[in-house]
Amino acid sequence: MKRVFILLIPLLVRAQVSQERIAKSPNADWLTYNGDYAATRHSPLSQITPANVKSLVAKWVFRVDGAKKLEASPIVHDGLMYVTNTNEMYALDVRSGRKAWHYRAAGAKGTRVNRGSAILNDKVYFATADCHLIALNRLTGNLVFDVEYASADAGYGTSIAPLAIRNGILVGVAGGGSGQRGFVAAIHPDSGKEIWRFWTVPAKGEPGSETWGNFPAEMGGAPTWTTGSYDPELNTIYWPTGNPWPDFYGGRRPGDNLYSDCVVALDANTGKLKWHFQFTPHDVWDWDANESLVLLDGPFRGRQRKLLVQANRNGFYYVLDRVTGEFLHAVPFVKKLDWTSGIDDKGRPKVIPAKIPTPAGTKVCPSVRGASNWMSPSFNPSTGLFYVVTLEQCDIIVASAKEPVPASGFRGTGNEGIPAEPGRFYLRALDVFNGKLKWEHPMPGPGIMWAGTVSTAGGVLFSGDDDGNLVALDAATGKDLWHFSMGRSLFASPVTYMVDGKQYVSIAAESDVFTFGLFE
Amino acid sequence: MASLSDRTPCGYHIGMLLFLLALAFNAALAQVNTLPTDPGSLEAGRQIYMGSCSGCHGATGEGSQGPSLLSGRVSRLPSATLLESLKNGLPGTSMPGFPLPDDKIREIAAFVRSLTAPAISARPSGDSARGRAIFFGEGKCSTCHMILNRGGYPGPDLSNIGAERTLRQLSESIAKPSARIEAGFQGVTAVLKDGRTVEGVARNYNNYSAQIVDQAGRIHLLDRGKIAKLEFKEGSIMPAVSNPDRIEHLVAFLAGQSTRPYEGSSR
Repeated sequence: MKRVFILLIPLLVRAQVSQERIAKSPNADWLTYNGDYAATRHSPLSQITPANVKSLVAKWVFRVDGAKKLEASPIVHDGLMYVTNTNEMYALDVRSGRKAWHYRAAGAKGTRVNRGSAILNDKVYFATADCHLIALNRLTGNLVFDVEYASADAGYGTSIAPLAIRNGILVGVAGGGSGQRGFVAAIHPDSGKEIWRFWTVPAKGEPGSETWGNFPAEMGGAPTWTTGSYDPELNTIYWPTGNPWPDFYGGRRPGDNLYSDCVVALDANTGKLKWHFQFTPHDVWDWDANESLVLLDGPFRGRQRKLLVQANRNGFYYVLDRVTGEFLHAVPFVKKLDWTSGIDDKGRPKVIPAKIPTPAGTKVCPSVRGASNWMSPSFNPSTGLFYVVTLEQCDIIVASAKEPVPASGFRGTGNEGIPAEPGRFYLRALDVFNGKLKWEHPMPGPGIMWAGTVSTAGGVLFSGDDDGNLVALDAATGKDLWHFSMGRSLFASPVTYMVDGKQYVSIAAESDVFTFGLFE
Repeated sequence: MASLSDRTPCGYHIGMLLFLLALAFNAALAQVNTLPTDPGSLEAGRQIYMGSCSGCHGATGEGSQGPSLLSGRVSRLPSATLLESLKNGLPGTSMPGFPLPDDKIREIAAFVRSLTAPAISARPSGDSARGRAIFFGEGKCSTCHMILNRGGYPGPDLSNIGAERTLRQLSESIAKPSARIEAGFQGVTAVLKDGRTVEGVARNYNNYSAQIVDQAGRIHLLDRGKIAKLEFKEGSIMPAVSNPDRIEHLVAFLAGQSTRPYEGSSR
């Protein structure tokens, strides 16, 4: 009998995912970790509104076998949702929540969490905990390549969601707490070969190396563990970097320790440094700058500019010119902030010497977790508001001058919470241009959340909270509109997308992916 | 002349002695629990196994009166536990102990272990290069299977198959593909209510939806409400290979397919 293969247009996954298509995300699809290259996490979807959000209901739940702490933002394209856990990826049929395929990187070392995937053309990509970039056929899960881009034996690991641009899959590494040398690398989307690599700690003799004294570059840290942003028009990648190592003792690394705690602007073709801005020079508080770098255009002090904004772990909200790297503005976005007397007109903090950690322990605000962290913020151009999960908390930080040994667990010693002063999370809406607080939504709970936000053109802002709720707030006023108790803690940020003309919201919660849609 | 710093208290010497003894004990234990991997020992183990063990556990460890030795529960046993079970038996079961010299016990254990060892760690007798030529050529295996993006759909991707299957499993899959169908690869034809047809493998399905990959590598995400009939193929859609030489060469080629270097058993 002759076999018959017939196209099923409405049901068949088919469209390729070009960079141009990614540049238009999010729309019906959600094509990068943050939804868009600019990391605004703002969706143009408007079917769910403050008026109807109360009728959101759970549509399906997908359990990821063995998962304990899902932290990924799923990617959604043409009816398939890509969900990652440590060393594995699932493709789900978004209409039904059923598994379409599953890929596990057998033999992968390491158990780090995974924050997500990338998609480009006919492939999806994710990184294993031991720094292999895996490329899979997006429709079948067939392996295209598995390449190691950093050695686990040398102490490297990663949790990153890669970022796909036209000519490279961008990856990074952890290592701020264990003494590896950070880098961003571009890997060819088809061959898996490395195209370029930018080291975030300069080698001896290179510009910036003078900011480390004699400290070995190989141990410098400045990791690249969160997904960067991309401006296709400027062909510039903006990547955030983490703390220098050892985290809490800086005596062996005199100087600013470039390019730790920075945003580095890199040429997308070559990886060459265009400019950098350092938020926390000579960091001794573990304040990685790995928070999202949000790109937007708008009037700043009477002039239309291409801007980059970040709510940094050190407690300040920053506005930079993303063409030149010029510092434009910084303002605290938490009340508990005592390590500096302010930021000078070049963007450099004026550190209070008494807030430098000592062996006896030093109380510092914000805490080591930071005023914010990798929980995703979002920006709604209609409201002009930047939405960010913040943490009001202080820590006792203890420093040690002990000889540092990489990958030994030593971080220059560590931090302790203050039992009498438990931290409290707030979702805050800031004026995107000046950082002024417009409204806030308290998030009481045990103080363990890592969930972030997604903004929608429907005027509804979604976020996880510290008590395990997915919440929907009025984007303009912060009014609490709807919530759903997930029955577990939230360590991931929600996404929104449209299938068959219907808008959905999904979020990973510990071991499961939950999907919500309007009741019908 | 010894300096003051050279003078060490007695306790130091005792501590060092204990430390060295512990090292020696651990080294000896590791030696005892290490299983031989050379072909001679495996063959010797196989012969003892066939005479003393196969009656209960089957000629290839598949189990009969006794449990299968191919299960994950058995294959994950630490070597020390396996050796202990062979030497002294399992109290409360019909598994007896075998009063054999330790080196013979290790040979049996090595053979039992080889029954579940990944093919990448084994020494297949076929010619891998000839297997490759068959796979991508006259055998037409790559019409439906892929290795590192070379080949076709809708069969299972074999890029890492050498690390996931034993030699015996590879051989059986080629000779008797219908004996065991990989989950998610059952042949299926979906006849839709509008008259259209989709043919491929059912990567997943239930009463409400079906996810089917066709021979072109396209995935069809189907609502069961739109499917008039879902017909599953009996047995595998893969044709069996009957030529023993071909099987041997294909096994040798597939045994080498691993996405990562084989680093040995940690058991």
